Amino acid sequence: MRKTFTGLRAWLIQRVSAVYMLLFIVFILAHFVGDPPHSYAAWNGWMMGSSVSMATAVFFAALLAHAWVGVRDVIMDYVHPVAFRVWALALLGIGLTAMGVWVMWILWMRHG
Amino acid sequence: MRIRDMNGSEKRRPVFFNLMQIQMPVGALTSITHRVTGIFLAISVPFGIYLLDLSLQDPQSYAQVISLFDKLTFRAAAIVFVWALAHHLLAGIRHLLSDIDIGSQLPAARRSAWVVNLGGIAVALLALGALL
Amino acid sequence: MGHVDFVDATRLAAVPIKATRQEATMHFSIFRYNPERDEKPYMQDFHVDLEPTERMLLDAILRIRDFQDDSLTLRKSCREGVCGSDAININGRNGLACITPVRELKEPVELRPLPSFPVIRDLVVDMTQFFKQYHSIKPYLINDEPAPEKERLQSPEDRDKLDGSYECILCACCTSQCPSSWWNPDKFVGPAGLLQAYRFISDSRDRATQERLDDLHDPYRLFRCRTIMNCTEVCPKGLSPSRAIERIRLKMLKVEDDHGGLGIHRVPAIR
Repeated sequence: MRKTFTGLRAWLIQRVSAVYMLLFIVFILAHFVGDPPHSYAAWNGWMMGSSVSMATAVFFAALLAHAWVGVRDVIMDYVHPVAFRVWALALLGIGLTAMGVWVMWILWMRHG
Repeated sequence: MRIRDMNGSEKRRPVFFNLMQIQMPVGALTSITHRVTGIFLAISVPFGIYLLDLSLQDPQSYAQVISLFDKLTFRAAAIVFVWALAHHLLAGIRHLLSDIDIGSQLPAARRSAWVVNLGGIAVALLALGALL
Repeated sequence: MGHVDFVDATRLAAVPIKATRQEATMHFSIFRYNPERDEKPYMQDFHVDLEPTERMLLDAILRIRDFQDDSLTLRKSCREGVCGSDAININGRNGLACITPVRELKEPVELRPLPSFPVIRDLVVDMTQFFKQYHSIKPYLINDEPAPEKERLQSPEDRDKLDGSYECILCACCTSQCPSSWWNPDKFVGPAGLLQAYRFISDSRDRATQERLDDLHDPYRLFRCRTIMNCTEVCPKGLSPSRAIERIRLKMLKVEDDHGGLGIHRVPAIR
């Protein structure tokens, strides 16, 4: 196991990312209930504002880290043959990284 | 563990492991649902990112995303997603509090497990009401 | 005939015991497996007329063994809930047969060996893996300082920190009901082992605290725990291994606690 993801570190990443995401989701819900965007321009304008897009980028970083720890736990619990486990974890890592790149591209490129 | 039977041939010891016959306390139900909803949410992430992308591209694709909510199948999926997110979130909060020793003793833990299980469903019903 | 003011012992002796305690006929369904005879396990039904004095499940099982089928095999010893020998799965939930009131159980009472442990015969399971995990956490005091004249002293406050963890009788009810132990019995230490690890980590006389914490650092030994809390649900002594594991994590994070001992809760009744 890579030293980076010892049990304690992974557990901590899962908890910290969860707290951030919780706060972000509350913030998003509050915005959608209090001041919902009515048009593409309003939506894009709000989303692409520097603070919101920065917070969103951090949200996705947290989401992907959280998903990595969570799905890895499932793989470690149920996949016992070492070779299968290594491949499953590798695929997971690649998939999550790809999504991370995709999201960063969207937040960078999709200014209306 | 291998043992030998009367004929001298090797056989393994059996185990009792029928999950249908083993009791699942309320906290265990909360926990397995937390895991299942987690997998479901993880699978929905690429779809969510795709919708985000579409909604930010241009006014036409934004309208496309909005019009998705007219489809019954999409609304049903959205309600399931909301339930999954609500349960996973509430169960997660229960875990975070338990980590700092709040509600980690059995009677409180059982109560909070009920709150999580029912709370997730309540939120899903709210979503159902809002989307129908 | 006047009003009787004193207890008439002879008249009381004539009152049948049935009127004061319940007799009962109960239906049991018991897991049977004899490796020398059976290809695979099966469930066998028994009907028992319980005497009023037979109040615990162990009494009923022994009555079956002594009067109906003397090949029925189980472990038992103290018959008072302190040795941990007769831990079995009762109507789906692990418990000690000797302290489980039998008349309250839903019928047919289904008795099976502890889940996921290899079955040696009938209700007797192989506890090797369980004890291996227990020994792996070094369940003994590690202190190489020169021995004092009498004993290594410990204040009452420090002794209180062991409450809720030293009482474990190693019955394995918790570990055999833990899903994380089911999936990785050889790598995850399990609730009983981790509760004992906590017992020694919190002992003020022990000097190997950091080594004990480091030993549990990898992703499997402790961190398979998902706080499902099945362990705490079924512990027949009312202990909370899940809470001990949480405390160990906080200790790893160097979060200081002066919590004192772990609590002991009232054991939920098995039905």
